[in-house]
Amino acid sequence: MTTIEATASVDQATLDALREGVAGVLAEQSGSTAVHAFIDGKNTLDRELWSQAASLGWLGCGIPEQYGGLGLGCHGLAILHTELGRQAAPGPYIPTLSAAQVIAEHGAEAVRTAWLPRIASGEISAAVPTNPDAAALTRSGSGVSGTLRCLGAPDAAFVLAPAGDTWVIVELAGAEVNAVPMWDRTRQVIDIRMQNAKPAAFLENSETLIQAMALAVAADSCGAARSVTDRTIAYMKTREQFGQPIAGFQALKHRAADLATKLAVMDETLAHAVHRTATNEPDADIWASLAKAEVTEAFVFIATDCVQLHGGVGFTWDYDPQIFLKRARLNEVLVMPNPALRDRAAAGLAAATRAGHSALELGL
Amino acid sequence: MTILDAQNDLPAFRQAIRDWLAEVVPPDWKARMARADNDEFIAFQRWWMAERSKVGLAIPHWPVEYGGAGLTLRHLIVIADEMARADAPQARMFTISLIHLPGTLFPHGTEAQKRRYLAGVAKGDVWCQGFSEPNSGSDLASLRTRAVRDGDHYVINGQKIWSSYSMYADRCILLTRTDPDAQKHRGITYFIMDMRSPGVEVRPIRQANGRSEFGEMFLTNVRIPAEDMIGRENNGWRVAQATLASERGVIAFEGAERQRYEVETFYRKALESDAAWLHDDQLRREFMSFLAEMQAGRRLLRRVLAESETPEASASVLPSIVKLSATVLRQRICSFMTRIAGVEGQEFAMLAEEPFGSPMFDFLSAFSGTIAGGTNEIQRNIVAERGLGMPRI
Repeated sequence: MTTIEATASVDQATLDALREGVAGVLAEQSGSTAVHAFIDGKNTLDRELWSQAASLGWLGCGIPEQYGGLGLGCHGLAILHTELGRQAAPGPYIPTLSAAQVIAEHGAEAVRTAWLPRIASGEISAAVPTNPDAAALTRSGSGVSGTLRCLGAPDAAFVLAPAGDTWVIVELAGAEVNAVPMWDRTRQVIDIRMQNAKPAAFLENSETLIQAMALAVAADSCGAARSVTDRTIAYMKTREQFGQPIAGFQALKHRAADLATKLAVMDETLAHAVHRTATNEPDADIWASLAKAEVTEAFVFIATDCVQLHGGVGFTWDYDPQIFLKRARLNEVLVMPNPALRDRAAAGLAAATRAGHSALELGL
Repeated sequence: MTILDAQNDLPAFRQAIRDWLAEVVPPDWKARMARADNDEFIAFQRWWMAERSKVGLAIPHWPVEYGGAGLTLRHLIVIADEMARADAPQARMFTISLIHLPGTLFPHGTEAQKRRYLAGVAKGDVWCQGFSEPNSGSDLASLRTRAVRDGDHYVINGQKIWSSYSMYADRCILLTRTDPDAQKHRGITYFIMDMRSPGVEVRPIRQANGRSEFGEMFLTNVRIPAEDMIGRENNGWRVAQATLASERGVIAFEGAERQRYEVETFYRKALESDAAWLHDDQLRREFMSFLAEMQAGRRLLRRVLAESETPEASASVLPSIVKLSATVLRQRICSFMTRIAGVEGQEFAMLAEEPFGSPMFDFLSAFSGTIAGGTNEIQRNIVAERGLGMPRI
């Protein structure tokens, strides 16, 4: 269980209700069989979940109420992404909801009004660069040009991307968009090519997209890592060799205990970053960067070990571990490379320390 | 206003402790202790307990009727937090006296035992624990030290090991075997033993880090009055569970908070001196990585404390998870410090005054975390079996 705790702005009961609601729906609709069918192209789980998410208000979870959202901020988003990760749910949640955060924080009133209600209602989804600091459009006159590799669905309504010293929202109606086949089939990546496209809006330069994506990917990893561990331990209790369940072998039990320990640390790492972000602490970026780096690497370790603990079937297409392993590998490289995120956090820590602040404050 | 007078106002209580610590903790205590011999260490420990006693902080968590102040867990957390912040000495020699003895006597002792023995602790009695034996470590219930009834006494023969500060102890909480034919958990009896009794011999054990905190006890025809039995004969295993559960996480919490200040001070000095490791990509990233885990660990300890007063606490494996993560993290941090210190870090030095000033000493000492109090391997069994429901074979 993650321990995303409430702050003054959001009460615990609302967050608990959100988690319970999301977890219940996803357990029923995005179970192992449905996800396997989806990655084999036999259903449209992503679309069905998206319309469910829209009708239940999940897509507005981080959007302020006056723009049609639930106003649950990064706490609500962390819970939603954790539960989506737990069921390896397909859909453009990370790009769309992260873009919404940027618009809500940095968009002019007209921009917020134009886009946020449409996102909250599920009418549109968004695309963002898989690695925002390594991607940029070039500006010439009133147009932007370039190629972007993005997280997002091929029918995304707009892309949010850096262009020179500003950020732009560009509608994708006329742009060249190509879907990129990925190992992680629960995610959609697209290449967008645009030539002198006219941005629908300009936003001030900010780190919000990186922070929002870092928290989203970290939350997804926490839920997914716990889920693949639970599934693996359940398998170990039924798989018998040498006349007994393999879960009884101490060599394997100790590995499972180490996975449980890692998961507890991952949850707190995420919770700390979410809490610092929600309360607008100056060290929030340090902890969001570290959370993404630490948690995604731990997820890769866990998913890898879960394949191995399954033995032969862990290496098959038909069992679940491969789905999580591929999701883990993609999560690990999204947003920014983890070494760069640690350097980013190190720079933030050095600046805070030189200014005489502690980045390690923690209430009792 | 004294510290205890402020107990109903937590911020004032905290401030009073902070003021007292600023006044009473000698700035050079670490340097002194780094060079101290055994006698100086003991004298210093006794001095520190006496100072705490003067302001009501020797046994603040005990009920008022036994001389304590009846403070809540919340207060203990504040005390621990302030001790860590001030880098105050720890009352290491009194851990069994202050935590494990009352944790055992309150639920299982007779009124006479509580009156007699708890009063002594407040006056500075040192207690040790006689649980482990050379052949009973992780398999504690296999212990073989014999206790045989002889009139109104029991006669003890056997050997105990890893008893911290037993060389200086006045009394011992002791596990013995009274029924060798019963199933191993059912033939154990729990006693209080006077360490000055004839037949008690203690030899210090020198550790890999050069210090001698543990003792080995040789017990030869030691006579213990029957009235010094805690609980019933052959019911000692159940009583021992109370002893083992008596530490609810405050010590680990204080340790984690001390480590936070150590790491922060170390980092600030590295920044000021523009230390070479800050420019080494791999080392700098490794540092950031354990900084994140350190913060997560501090949050986990807060959860252990919050959970410790709930009905779920006794079944929770969270303390085992925390022990696994915190002790391995401590080793990682000390390993890092050892590597960046180079050959100079290999110069023999114990207990330096700077944080991580003797990285090899800290690195070697970190094994006490992964081995003592139930090895990490035993903790993994607990997490897997009780937490994850994996079968026991």
